[in-house]
Amino acid sequence: MGHDSRKEKQAPEGATHKAVEDPTLGGRGCSVLAPPLFRRGLTGARMAARRVLKAVLVDLSGTLHIEDSAVPGAQEALKRLRGAPVTIRFVTNTTKECKRDLLGRLQKLGFDIAEDEIFTSLTAARSLLEQKQVRPLLLVDDNALHDFKGIATNDPNAVVVGLAPEHFNYQMMTQAFRLILDGAPLIAIHKARYYKRKDGLALGPGPFVTGLEYATDSKATVVGKPERTFFLEALRGTGCTPEETVMIGDDCRDDVGGAQNAGMLGILVKTGKYRPEDESKISPRPYLTYEALSKEKQVSGNHRFKGSSEMC
Amino acid sequence: MAEWAARLAGVRAVVLDISGVLYDSGGEGGGVPIPGSREAVRKLKASGLKLRFCTNETQATREKFVEKLQRLGFDILVSEVTAPAPAACRILKERNLRPHLLVHDGLVPEFDQLDKGNPNCVVLGEAADNFSYQNLNEAFRVLIGLENPILLSLGRGRYYKETDGLKLDVGVYMKALEYACDIQAEVVGKPSKMFFQSALAEMGVEPQQAIMIGDDIVNDVGGAQQCGMRALQVRTGKYRPCDEQHPEVTPDGYVNNLAEAVDIILKQLDK
Repeated sequence: MGHDSRKEKQAPEGATHKAVEDPTLGGRGCSVLAPPLFRRGLTGARMAARRVLKAVLVDLSGTLHIEDSAVPGAQEALKRLRGAPVTIRFVTNTTKECKRDLLGRLQKLGFDIAEDEIFTSLTAARSLLEQKQVRPLLLVDDNALHDFKGIATNDPNAVVVGLAPEHFNYQMMTQAFRLILDGAPLIAIHKARYYKRKDGLALGPGPFVTGLEYATDSKATVVGKPERTFFLEALRGTGCTPEETVMIGDDCRDDVGGAQNAGMLGILVKTGKYRPEDESKISPRPYLTYEALSKEKQVSGNHRFKGSSEMC
Repeated sequence: MAEWAARLAGVRAVVLDISGVLYDSGGEGGGVPIPGSREAVRKLKASGLKLRFCTNETQATREKFVEKLQRLGFDILVSEVTAPAPAACRILKERNLRPHLLVHDGLVPEFDQLDKGNPNCVVLGEAADNFSYQNLNEAFRVLIGLENPILLSLGRGRYYKETDGLKLDVGVYMKALEYACDIQAEVVGKPSKMFFQSALAEMGVEPQQAIMIGDDIVNDVGGAQQCGMRALQVRTGKYRPCDEQHPEVTPDGYVNNLAEAVDIILKQLDK
């Protein structure tokens, strides 16, 4: 956490310091962060540790929407956020949906979002492939292939593993194994152990990645949340540093913990997969905890906004 | 002369790995003998040294497996082979376990005598094409649904060699299920100490009287050494040159193949 004395001098609100230096932070901190973040715009406003807030990363599933429904009030909250001079990126761990599908779903739910504002674990994998200039064997869902358009896949010399039950057969795994043994990097979209399907629990990509790691005595590069590089890559091209960024999400470890590890501030929302006591799963704890993306005015005690008052 | 040969005093028994030492599996006919290995087995048997075959092979029952080796020209009997499936059966019976099997079709008959209804454990073997997502998911669901999930893995090998290249071994899928369920598997087979000990008991020798010959640096060589035996690595089968820089295991010696090992051992013991 680097302090910048010049910015400090421009800071308008002494109250910010007080709350930040208060070790009990928690709910009280909200009243400090919420006004600049959602109400007033951020010119000259400061955040914890005397930071300037320039970018906001927002998780999708569980924060903006849950499956095909918007989290109540989230559209309005996003609109308010748009009123602030910050760069917004939507960040998500997805292994199945390409950006285009995600965008379609979100627009249908009334969210004002552009495709180039979305940064997913698939985007992160793609940019890693481009940096390494390798040709991947793509063990990803067919829907995800769109995000790899234009990447050469002939004569592969890298392996990308997403969630692709149809590809996790013995033959494909053996092919991946042989490539890695020959030196191909193993890139994992993420390492989730399992996920919930309509018919019950089902294995995620993690077990297969772990198996390949064991077979080849190598370590996969994991590109999704909570990896530090994921959050740094999400900021690429924004001109913002992690210290100028806040991340908002419902997954305490992957969203908040990951972002805070990368030098950002993390805000946990109690929607989506949130379970009581999740806050205590990480150290340091989330910088702030909100009832929901739209609930910042409740904790700030300001009822100026319409649209989500029924949610308070 | 190889350095290791000078330290053979007291050796009375030889334990041989099969796949990658006697033959390379796969293809039509089930595999190809490694040159000189049939003759080497015959010489060992004629030498008066005790001999035991210790395999993690689980693609077929022990009977079928031995039949195949006999067809390939090896002098070998079922009673000379220590294999994981019969050992697993003993454990399952002792502990009243009803297994859900994820194994090669050819191995299923080994478990014929066991109750497999309402399973309370999973037995994992080298299943090759049976390692589909769906089968692995079924095993996962059994485990995740148990209060005390028990996973018995017939070996923990990373890969093995068939005539058409290296193939993923059971250990890879054991690790996958361990990770998915956050559990530790119990390994039956090499490199488990108990497995080597039962092979030694069959021969009635102490660990320091036996030498293991295998192609797997960790499971054959490392496992045997852990048990107190000496161990050689052959440069056949799944052997890769980088094995010779293995961070944890250093064999007592390297040989190009079984034939060379046997010739050196017999020559030395003759002296």
